[in-house]
Amino acid sequence: MVKDSGAAAGAGGLRLLNQPKPAAIEATPEGEPKSVVVHGRFQPVRAILDSWRIDDEWWREEIARRYFAIELQNGRTLTIYHDLVGGGWFMQGYEGPRESRSIVRQERSLRGK
Amino acid sequence: MNVACLLVPDFLVALARREHPELGGRPVVVGGAPEEHAAVTACSAEAAAAGVTVGSNLRRALALCPGAVFLPVQEGYARSEAELIAELVRERSPMVEVVSPGHVHFEVRGLPRMMGLSDEEFLAQLYESIATRARLPIRLGAADAVFVAHVAAVSEEREGRREKGETSNDELRTTVGRNLRAKAEDLPQFAIRNSQFPTLVPAGQEREFLAGAPVDVLPVDPVMHLRLRLFGLEWLGQVAEIPLSAMQAQFGADGTRARALARGEDHSRIIPQREEVTITEEIDLPAPAASSEPLVVGTEALLQRALAHNDVRGQTVRRVDWWLGLESGEQVGRRVVFREPTSDPRRMLFVLRNKIERIELSAAAVGLGLTLSGLCSEYAHQANLWQLGPRRQRELEEAIEQLNARAGDPQVYRIVEVQPWSRIPERQLALVAFGS
Repeated sequence: MVKDSGAAAGAGGLRLLNQPKPAAIEATPEGEPKSVVVHGRFQPVRAILDSWRIDDEWWREEIARRYFAIELQNGRTLTIYHDLVGGGWFMQGYEGPRESRSIVRQERSLRGK
Repeated sequence: MNVACLLVPDFLVALARREHPELGGRPVVVGGAPEEHAAVTACSAEAAAAGVTVGSNLRRALALCPGAVFLPVQEGYARSEAELIAELVRERSPMVEVVSPGHVHFEVRGLPRMMGLSDEEFLAQLYESIATRARLPIRLGAADAVFVAHVAAVSEEREGRREKGETSNDELRTTVGRNLRAKAEDLPQFAIRNSQFPTLVPAGQEREFLAGAPVDVLPVDPVMHLRLRLFGLEWLGQVAEIPLSAMQAQFGADGTRARALARGEDHSRIIPQREEVTITEEIDLPAPAASSEPLVVGTEALLQRALAHNDVRGQTVRRVDWWLGLESGEQVGRRVVFREPTSDPRRMLFVLRNKIERIELSAAAVGLGLTLSGLCSEYAHQANLWQLGPRRQRELEEAIEQLNARAGDPQVYRIVEVQPWSRIPERQLALVAFGS
């Protein structure tokens, strides 16, 4: 990864990375993904490798997401989230930042206490 | 019968005794003169019985066995003799693995049937033929699995010595099971034994056969041999009876393997040596040459010829042996080992030229030759795309500009951090058109 040089990016050349893409997910009553549509076919979820939650920006346009790192039956791993505000499932090819995840987990565990 | 093991016990000693039959029965130590600061490379059973061990100091060997005959190591001779034995086996088997000098494992699956012989007849013929040509005391064992065949060859060594009365009981302990505490009389009998001819272990009788072999035949660290004996496990039969969990707990993966081998469960295969491809080219010089220039020209021609050979196509060369035949009958040679394998004749010549120009000839050269060896796959360098200097960077930028111009949109991007602190993944990074 290249460090930000500080140079102003040309507006025409800027593209956001890791934009959420809508995903077709079949979920369990508990809200966990059961199978995912990949290339038009349902692929069963073999394992949920990780799960974390992001709650942010409640002071303007609230963001509340429940993320899942999953492994499909064919061995492929995906990061998906359930939008808890607007509903719907989304896919993000990028793995969430480790630091943020650990912070979220710490927050969760503190909340749990 | 799938695999056979051929072994010349105490190979270096056997070679010495072949050349000097008067050494038979006398303690022999190979490694050098006792006053040399060197280690014992090999020793005869008689010397081992006196306490001499491979790797120990020669002076200590003299102290332990004053009557021993000390011989120098003739590495080149031993290597060529070992290769000769391997070659004799290769004439009979398609897959031969040289374990150590004078010790080979080889495939015999289907060979007796192909020759219209029984397994026993095939082995007996093989034994006779190799023993006659090598004129060495060879041992031969055969079985379905590599380890069992190996133990068959080793066990034959022990039984053979015992029956021929060549060694005492104490010496016997040092041949196969060094440092064994058991007396030779206490050794369990091997299930199938034939000391005069090679040992064949029939399929299905492996475990029974192995039960009587000492734990020292296991291909594990000597420390494990010692530990097994401290546990009172002297024989493979005892190891085979130990529960897997106990072996794993004490010895880890080695324990699992040792137990499997002791039970005759061996799935290892023969790993044959890859035959090294070498390419040799020679020329007679049109006129005797005393200066370096014609030698360089001749070398260049030889390199071109050698590199055009089919075997070297798509390969790189690691080593070049170059030599000159002089009018006096002498030969002058140089070996060049490239730091990185190459297939570029100019680079080879550049290195060789330096060597050639430094040679001082005692007579005019009449012949010239070279051998390419150490052939390996084409060597590729993974260069760093971004740190190749300003010139390369400019070329790269121009190429990207051209690509963008052709497509109309930016085609190459770089990742930049936008809000690395954000917890929202899509806000952390962005793609920026390269060069913008």
